[in-house]
Amino acid sequence: MARIELNVDLNRVEGDLSVQVTLEDGVVVEARTAGTMYRGFEQILLGRAPRDAMVITPRVCGICGTAHLYAAVLALEQIWGTPVPPNATRIRNLCLFAEGLQNDLRQTFLFFTPDFCHPRYAQHPLHDAMMRAFEPFKGEVYRETLAMTRRVLEIVAHFGGQWPHSSYMLPGGVVTPPDTRRLIACRAALDELQRWYEQRVVGARLEDWLALDSADAYFAWLEQPVPASSALGLMTRFLRSQGLHRLGIGTPHMLSFGVGCDPERWGPSQDAHLMRSGFLDGDSGAVEPLDTAQIAEHVRHSWFRPYEGGRHPYEGETVPDYQPGSDRYSWAKAPRYGDRVVQTGPLAELLIGGDALLRDLHAREGAGAWLRQFARVRRVAYELQHARRMLDELGAALHEPHFIAPVPGSEVDGQGCGLVMAARGALGHWVRLRDGVVEKYQIITPTAWNASPRDSAGVPGHWEASLVGLEVADADDPIEIGHLIRSHDPCLVCTVHFAQAGAHAGAGRRLVVGA
Amino acid sequence: MTGLARRQVLCFGNELHGDDGFGPAVGRALAGLGLPAGWELHQLGTRGLDALALLQDCEAALLVDAEAPAGQPGRLRERRADELGSEASLVGHGMGLGFVLQALRAMPGRPGVLRILTAEMTEVRSFQLALSPAVAGSVDPAARQLGRWMQEAAHA
Repeated sequence: MARIELNVDLNRVEGDLSVQVTLEDGVVVEARTAGTMYRGFEQILLGRAPRDAMVITPRVCGICGTAHLYAAVLALEQIWGTPVPPNATRIRNLCLFAEGLQNDLRQTFLFFTPDFCHPRYAQHPLHDAMMRAFEPFKGEVYRETLAMTRRVLEIVAHFGGQWPHSSYMLPGGVVTPPDTRRLIACRAALDELQRWYEQRVVGARLEDWLALDSADAYFAWLEQPVPASSALGLMTRFLRSQGLHRLGIGTPHMLSFGVGCDPERWGPSQDAHLMRSGFLDGDSGAVEPLDTAQIAEHVRHSWFRPYEGGRHPYEGETVPDYQPGSDRYSWAKAPRYGDRVVQTGPLAELLIGGDALLRDLHAREGAGAWLRQFARVRRVAYELQHARRMLDELGAALHEPHFIAPVPGSEVDGQGCGLVMAARGALGHWVRLRDGVVEKYQIITPTAWNASPRDSAGVPGHWEASLVGLEVADADDPIEIGHLIRSHDPCLVCTVHFAQAGAHAGAGRRLVVGA
Repeated sequence: MTGLARRQVLCFGNELHGDDGFGPAVGRALAGLGLPAGWELHQLGTRGLDALALLQDCEAALLVDAEAPAGQPGRLRERRADELGSEASLVGHGMGLGFVLQALRAMPGRPGVLRILTAEMTEVRSFQLALSPAVAGSVDPAARQLGRWMQEAAHA
């Protein structure tokens, strides 16, 4: 039996990630995903004025800063019981959806599909079509994605002044009112993106595409030439031809914090979302109401000061304790729901939210790498729809307030959490204030759930589990591992809390000359 | 975030990593000298793909960054965009300035004038706040060079 240990460094992922896999006779028998960078945002916030989180936490991530801002502001509003005018929630949602659109399209066509142009697939029947669409810097879909995703981010710039790292939300609302000029500009950006998505990405009108509600209907539809030759059609046909609909399943349990906040039903006494939150029990198939008391973080295999078992984020701590040479191997913690390993992301969001097509595909085949990536592209349709609804409602309520100053005396000590569905899934900020400053701040990112290391019981995280059983044809060029990991939309920047010395000491470099 | 600044100097680099702080240092020197009317200065740090928005549809863009060590520390050079490859490293998501310039070539709306000034690093050192003497000595000459380029761009 040939046993090989591989260290795989992946480019085109967000942040610093290393995957170690053990191959036996060409099959992955064990995997470890390591976050290789410590960041320490939680400690930066300790002792600071609560509103500093509006400036600091959007800098956790260069992709989903709006989601961090949103989570941070919701946490403070929960502690202070601050009412939020519907228009503020509409603007927050609109920007969150714009950021999600950017991520879902960039992840798919700048990070994921370039692997289809690998020389190994030169004999594949779809090779020529895939090169025309997906080849980096040359393929049509690749180039159009660069342009379209830049355009859609203008929506955040209209209300936030800049993207990324914007700070335009604050307890009680947002800083910029809606006006006709902004709404028209945002609508134009969405219109352009929707046309492109319909024509290029899915090959159907948005309503017709969303109306597909079963696996049979979808596969019959995919036989038609227009959908078959669309970007999603190509992606689906190629991934399924490689068996990736049956690979990379990982944990069956899923988590969603709910899509956006419902503008008319959000505030101190209400917490409705545009699509429901919940926990999908992968064993029973039932969707249960979200119970945040079940959330706990373990550090048994992470480079943090040790504690026993798991801790709820209100009781948590993030104290770095680098222990090289031990069995600890990551700067990511291991969050668990109860004692269960869960995954989160667009697939979890839409399965829990009730998308009929995904539910049927999931029931038939499970949640393989193809379905995960497919769900990300499908979510674009929902994001477009939700964003339009926000614009319509803003247009009908132009003169309503976008900010209501918190009542004097309401900014009390206490604890609260802000939970949002970010581009990559469930994001939570748990905050405790004492004597008017931040006493505790714990962030659990989507990638912390997905890329978690082993927990106190030694149970591997979701990515780690999803790699086991994968056949790797060429250990020197394990492209299969790349497909699977990328289908999870990895972002270790958010998750890990210093760049390594030694081999990676050149981490600050960006220019490679003459390459 | 769209190309409102028609003429701009864009400085890239991470001051936390020794000589990689060359771009930001040149930005400060240039700010001290003052820019001609109509020019804007942007300190972009480690910004990646979102810097593309600044580069598209502008009249002139002058870029400043540090370059990998190659035996002549502090050497200033003008580089063509097509000399700069994509990043091999994970940092900046593998989508740093080299990626941005490649993306710019693949898209419409290239700047009318695009010039890139680099200084060669003495060595790559993480988490060191100061420039090496050789690179520090190139900061003022670089700022003056950019001043000349801005004048040339005005007459282009």
